[in-house]
Amino acid sequence: MQSSTSYWAIKKENLRYGWAKAKRMKVCYLFLLPYTVLFFTFFILPICTSIYYSFTYYNILEAPRFIGFQNYINLVLQDEVFLTAVRNTFVIAVITGPIGYILSFLFAWFINELPRWLRTIAVVVFYAPSIAGGAYTVFSIIFRGDAYGWLNAILLQFGLVDAPLLFLLDPRYIMTVIIIVTLWMSMGAGFLSFVAGLQGVDRSLYEAGYVDGIRNRWQELYFITLPSMKPMLLFGAVMSITSAFNVSDVPRALAGYPSTDYAARTIVTHLFDYGFSRFEMGYASAIATVLFLVMILCNKAIQAMLRKVGT
Amino acid sequence: MSKKEITKFVQPKTSNRAELLHFQAQLRGEIEEEKPKMSKGRFALIALIILAVLACLLVACNFIASGIENWIAENPEAKTVPIQFLFFNFELSTDTISTFLFIRFQLITVIVLFGLFAIIKLIQPKRRKPNRSFWGDLGIYLMLFIVAIAMVFPLVFSVAASLKPLDEFFRFPPRVFPSRATFDNFSDLIVIMGQSFVPFSRYLINTVFITLVGTLGHVIIASMAAFVLSKYDFPGGKTFFGIVVTALMFSGYVTGIPNYVIMSRMGMIDTYWAIILPAFAAPIGLFLMKQSMESLPSALIEAAHLDGASEFRIFWTIVMPNVKPAWLTIIIFSVQSLWNTNAATVIYTESKKTLVYALGQIQAGGIARTGVAAAVQVIVMLVPITIFILSQSQILETMASSGLKD
Repeated sequence: MQSSTSYWAIKKENLRYGWAKAKRMKVCYLFLLPYTVLFFTFFILPICTSIYYSFTYYNILEAPRFIGFQNYINLVLQDEVFLTAVRNTFVIAVITGPIGYILSFLFAWFINELPRWLRTIAVVVFYAPSIAGGAYTVFSIIFRGDAYGWLNAILLQFGLVDAPLLFLLDPRYIMTVIIIVTLWMSMGAGFLSFVAGLQGVDRSLYEAGYVDGIRNRWQELYFITLPSMKPMLLFGAVMSITSAFNVSDVPRALAGYPSTDYAARTIVTHLFDYGFSRFEMGYASAIATVLFLVMILCNKAIQAMLRKVGT
Repeated sequence: MSKKEITKFVQPKTSNRAELLHFQAQLRGEIEEEKPKMSKGRFALIALIILAVLACLLVACNFIASGIENWIAENPEAKTVPIQFLFFNFELSTDTISTFLFIRFQLITVIVLFGLFAIIKLIQPKRRKPNRSFWGDLGIYLMLFIVAIAMVFPLVFSVAASLKPLDEFFRFPPRVFPSRATFDNFSDLIVIMGQSFVPFSRYLINTVFITLVGTLGHVIIASMAAFVLSKYDFPGGKTFFGIVVTALMFSGYVTGIPNYVIMSRMGMIDTYWAIILPAFAAPIGLFLMKQSMESLPSALIEAAHLDGASEFRIFWTIVMPNVKPAWLTIIIFSVQSLWNTNAATVIYTESKKTLVYALGQIQAGGIARTGVAAAVQVIVMLVPITIFILSQSQILETMASSGLKD
């Protein structure tokens, strides 16, 4: 009894102290206000409404009708296409997420020791694909399904195939093509963060390392560079999770929408289908909620993993 | 000699500890003075001379080999080849052709390897880190080179495609580079633009308006929030920033549907505000701004406080001018995303549509528009890349503080 009252007393005291502090610093809240209003309207409120709509049947015309977990149940038990979408999204995310992340770091690290002018060129070359708006559509020429397609022409000339392969229509090849294109675009903001972070690692740490007998570049990477890069690694992880789970433009532009046999369907294209073609907003919101939860969980897992690096 | 001069005389020029130890050892006479290394210019000259000699050998070898081949082609029965070179006259057996071909192959290999070696030697920084092996460097540079070519190939491919006349799109085997490069696709694009339903400049003005207003508001609003979040400790600030960091993962897809509903309730559908207002609150801008403001010394702000400056004045005249790279960076990120917005889901009136949307419509015109589509592709692609190249040093400076502390 005694302990619980003192606990509440402390809590109360804390609250009063916090309130006094908040009153003293009210100008801070004034500065924060415009951003907060917009941020809550366009980022937090949508997430909350999305969770709310996911428990309703809502088609924009009628008022939303509460149906409990029915949307989620349908999602898992009835919607076979959703399961395909989940599988495809996970295949893409599991392959392009980690590989893209590791490649971004490795190339940022390789670039780091080049002379300045060459480093600038390299940064532009590696970063350009992810900002060149819609440059991935050029892959529809490279992977075109007839003999005028560049890859098919090469295969035909070397006699590796005797008829052009339908890279963008045949379910056997679609996923590979999409993964290649996504990897090509995977060096985004995280890569820039790595390049900049590597430049900022304290040089005296390296010098101490030479004296203490760090023998080769890999030891240096593991014992010095990675631990001092942790904040950037976390930022890069957030960025690569976001891009790996939200692959939708590439499959829609290359494999068509809908794609053959739903072979290139991802969670986001599924969401688009239900949200903007069939206007089943409740169902689409359930899909969005699932995607959102998966992304948050992944982020937590990666944070836990990165805490162990270099220790 | 005064004491000062003596210390000046033996003062090492470096603060590097490993080199310092080395220097002390030299002073004690344990290690002999190193010979000065060859300068880069001289190395380049010698490498060029060696390469030139090798190239001459290759040309000569090639000349002889092809000469023998021609001789065999003309008189297949012959066992020997007469060679006449300046005032040497001698005969060679036709069997030697294989030797010459082999030498030629070897020469090419040597030239390629030596060229690579020379390039790497020239690229390497003057003072190499002591724990780097040469072969490791070689492997890394080779890999970088190959991957860089693979990364840049699709971009080069689309630029080359925009210069092809229509018939070259459909030739077998297809080529990467056009054999008759023209700017016809770009002039066709201008013609098509002239025929659009609303004047084409309207699309351009729409996009420029959205980009300008959206970016301006974003920079001001996000830096105001970032300023208090980074420099003041007030209740709720840390929690709020934590939410913003999580929001880095909210892509437009996850929030797309409820956003549409919210905007239609607010009557913003089919107005520019449907694109501009969410762009004001983009989390990445606040995040980068806050991280780089964190590195400003707090003493600066406290001093201004003591001098009686108001919060707004501190923000506007002290903090903002000191984080110029950061606001350039968020300007660029914002411009890039707004420039590329298609906005087809929230804007329906033709005269309010964006440039990227209109160009996309031109691109969707089927086979006959293949060339024009490639030209559109190049234009849409070049704008963000050019902006990035012009501003990359500032962006990298900001990204140096982008780390997430947990």
